[in-house]
Amino acid sequence: MISLLEIAERTQTGEKVEEKKWDMELFHTISQLVKKYQIEFPGEGCFINMDDDLAERAFEAGIECLESMGIYCITTRRRVRLTRDEILRAIDEAPTEIVMGEGKDRRVWKQRKVEGREKLNVCPGHHTPYSEDIAPLVIDNFARIPRADFIEGFNVTTVDGREIMGAPMEVYASRRQVGWMREGVRKAGRPGLAIVYYPINTRAEDLIGVMDPDHGLRRTDGILLTLLPDLKMEQDMLCAAIVYEEYGSFKLSGSFAIAGGFCGGIEGAIVEGIAKPIACMIAYRDYIHYTGVEHVHMLNARQILIPGITWARSVVNQALNKFTHTICMRWVIPTSGPGTELNLLEGAMHSIEAPINGMNLYAPRQCRTTTNHGQTPLEAEWMIEVSDAVIEQGLDRKGASELLAKLAQRIQGEQPQEGYSITECYDLAHHKPKPDYERIYSNVKNQLTEMGLNLPQ
Amino acid sequence: MELSNLPQGQRDLLDSLRDAIVAIDEEKARNVAEAIVNEEMDPNTAIRYSIAHAAVKVGEKFDSGEYYLPHLVMAGDLMDEVGTILGRNIPSDQIGEKKVIVIGTVQGDMHSVGKNLVSTMLKSGGFQVHDMGVDVASMAFIDRAKEVNADMIALSSLLTTTMPYQKEVIDDLASMGLREKFKVIVGGGPVTEHYAKEIGADGYAKDAVEALREVKRLLA
Repeated sequence: MISLLEIAERTQTGEKVEEKKWDMELFHTISQLVKKYQIEFPGEGCFINMDDDLAERAFEAGIECLESMGIYCITTRRRVRLTRDEILRAIDEAPTEIVMGEGKDRRVWKQRKVEGREKLNVCPGHHTPYSEDIAPLVIDNFARIPRADFIEGFNVTTVDGREIMGAPMEVYASRRQVGWMREGVRKAGRPGLAIVYYPINTRAEDLIGVMDPDHGLRRTDGILLTLLPDLKMEQDMLCAAIVYEEYGSFKLSGSFAIAGGFCGGIEGAIVEGIAKPIACMIAYRDYIHYTGVEHVHMLNARQILIPGITWARSVVNQALNKFTHTICMRWVIPTSGPGTELNLLEGAMHSIEAPINGMNLYAPRQCRTTTNHGQTPLEAEWMIEVSDAVIEQGLDRKGASELLAKLAQRIQGEQPQEGYSITECYDLAHHKPKPDYERIYSNVKNQLTEMGLNLPQ
Repeated sequence: MELSNLPQGQRDLLDSLRDAIVAIDEEKARNVAEAIVNEEMDPNTAIRYSIAHAAVKVGEKFDSGEYYLPHLVMAGDLMDEVGTILGRNIPSDQIGEKKVIVIGTVQGDMHSVGKNLVSTMLKSGGFQVHDMGVDVASMAFIDRAKEVNADMIALSSLLTTTMPYQKEVIDDLASMGLREKFKVIVGGGPVTEHYAKEIGADGYAKDAVEALREVKRLLA
């Protein structure tokens, strides 16, 4: 694989391109590739890709996209060109499993197979910002989920009672965040559980400042280093990638494409959704990715479900699992907030997709999360429960598709529900949902059972 | 000039221009705009009717999922071009001024998708938009707003740790005695209406479609 030093040099020597030109070039390139490789949504009622040939064509489109466009460095406004050979070699050399954590909490996070029969790896949280008064207890709660293989940090708004502003305070807050994570997993009786640092900011100093084998990020922990949408990279992230590559921590990325943006519609997002994790791997050495396709209207909670979005995610993940070593995760990201029926129904859809398309499970939280208002441990336990049931029932693509169709019919046309803060609907002191939320959970479980999913009662 | 007072042929031209912009048919839009100029039709009517209506329709297409961000960019550029053609014969003292908005993602924040959507939507909606990009220092917003005689400053933040810079811009405007000179609207993932009120912003929008509505309301 080409070295990170080579990437760094190319960010300084590559062709200069204005950002607007890059954006429109990406759109036109992807539009042409969608036509060339005949990537087309079959139509309403299609939730899981059944066309293996399409997955292969989509993969080829993704490779050609990366070969034609390269990666855009927004810091230097230059194009980082990649040859086809470099792209294919990077795909070939990437690992299919990552070891993380220590002692009894050592875990192996693996690439999955389409319609695989092994239980999935899980990151139960967080990604939601929490206030410092409840943060340690929240972490303790999530770390107690036995299937948690790693746990991710979150953004914070205050530290030691002060509002965080500017690089020095951000660095201080970053170290506190990781310190809370460390303390939280220890209190949960899982001192070796891998922590993934969620960047408070993307400045190099924030990303590197948490590296500390005694009190911060260990070599067996990880860090989230993500390419921006539209195949854009930052030199600060590359700085961190260079340092962490030598330190030994594993790296993750948010490698999904956003339909409605410069990649175009869902078909265009498939192309970027395949190109992006490969680009992340080359630019930052990310080997675990939350993959697929989201839609700008869903991320803004304007619509619960966009026709074709589940199918598009399916194509991306099938292509990545069949033709690359990408370790995929399904980011369970409902439009409705925690404590609501719709959140659990939406979460169920994502959790059914995941094992069928070869994805592990990642951090269920509401798309428009705000402080203390994004997730509770119940949604994480629910996503595990649903995906385990899918595997145990032996659902294949066809069976899962029928189930997804019923779920889609149930939620289509609904308006996202705002939901509740974690303390409003969850009892953190006793690690259980409050009675109203417990009733909602039972009701949703019954609905899924009636739809045909064999959930343990 | 009221539309109903125009002969059918001229009304057809205005509809044709509107439809060409919505379809992002650059050649046709240019040709029809030239035809409107040659007919010596009132350019302000054409701008008010064809371009403004086209902007609404383009926004609707984005909202429905038919159009994506690149379409907004192309439509916005086409509206600018058509506006220039139509405006050729408007005496300079009669040129209707567009409301001016300075927009950017605040200091320390590199996220641009949401900001780009809003920026493009506002441009398509008929505003003159100065997009300052990402990681913009608070004073830079104010300096640019003064330079271009802006009506509004729009601030995007996608990280909780950069939200305080939205407040900093507002506070700096107040300490410089400029608070009343510029409306301020804020948005971004972790930003809420409650936070917007708390920091003294004039408006808040949760996405690009809402942003256009809110900006029109604030600058009416």
